[in-house]
Amino acid sequence: MAIGCAISMVGQRNPLYSAISLVGVFISLACLYVTLAAPFIAAVQVIIYAGAIMVLVVFVIMLLNVEEEERRPMRLRSLVPIAVSLAAILFAEAAFIIFFVQTSPATPTANVSDVGLTASIGSGLFTTYLLPFEITSILLLMAVVGAMTLARRGGLLPANVGVVPGYQSFAKDTLDPRTTPDLTQVVARTSEEAERLLGVAKVPHTQDSE
Amino acid sequence: MVPQLSWYLALSAVLFTIGVVGVMVKRNVISMFMCIELMLNAVNLTFVAFSSFFRDVTGQLFVFIVMTVAAAEAAVGLGIIIAIFRNRESLDVDDASTLKL
Repeated sequence: MAIGCAISMVGQRNPLYSAISLVGVFISLACLYVTLAAPFIAAVQVIIYAGAIMVLVVFVIMLLNVEEEERRPMRLRSLVPIAVSLAAILFAEAAFIIFFVQTSPATPTANVSDVGLTASIGSGLFTTYLLPFEITSILLLMAVVGAMTLARRGGLLPANVGVVPGYQSFAKDTLDPRTTPDLTQVVARTSEEAERLLGVAKVPHTQDSE
Repeated sequence: MVPQLSWYLALSAVLFTIGVVGVMVKRNVISMFMCIELMLNAVNLTFVAFSSFFRDVTGQLFVFIVMTVAAAEAAVGLGIIIAIFRNRESLDVDDASTLKL
């Protein structure tokens, strides 16, 4: 079932269907974790992957309004026979290895043990592997800051800012951060012109603010 | 019929291969992104299988950390995708082959 969902994921042309197939892969992998006596990892798999990450992905797909991929001629057509022969060699090696693993003495089989339980994972995480755990938290902090920086829209101004009335001039990199070292002066003669340059919506003055 | 370790390893290898093929074949950035997630999951399956068969909890701790890295990667990667889309109005990787704005 996991393989079927994965193939359907790669095969779909619409990224949204592909995302839904990926959720199927994640959930069947969680079932496999349960059979491998790892219930904590299975729960975390469902929560983080099938919950958080896929919601993010689907949200971005909706936000960017992705259209279906169109079919295009394949590049590098001359390399196809080489690829097929390499794949055949790889499959032969894999079959060889699996055959000899099956005929070799049996590997230890899984029984019910306390390995996958939440308590043992927690005690391992907070004693032996405390330093990687803390590094992970720093990594998450960096990811939060980086994602906010990347996804921010252009300028540094908050949405409800107004302009000073009257004649004024700006450095060019204040108006457009992509031209950062450029300090050429841009002159705005009136307040309306300054609002247009800064991209600031005019804030209507309400009665109670005066 | 008791599941063998090699079954899980074979399934993991197949999933990883599908992920690699997807990254190479797809042109859409989001689809490539999801294929990378698939590869991470294949590696996680290997870790959990070994950890369960050898009665060692270290593999599952490592899976936990890999999941954290995947979440961070998802956040940053989707931020990059949104930034690229704002600049180019396209999600095709061939349009983004240069790093210039």
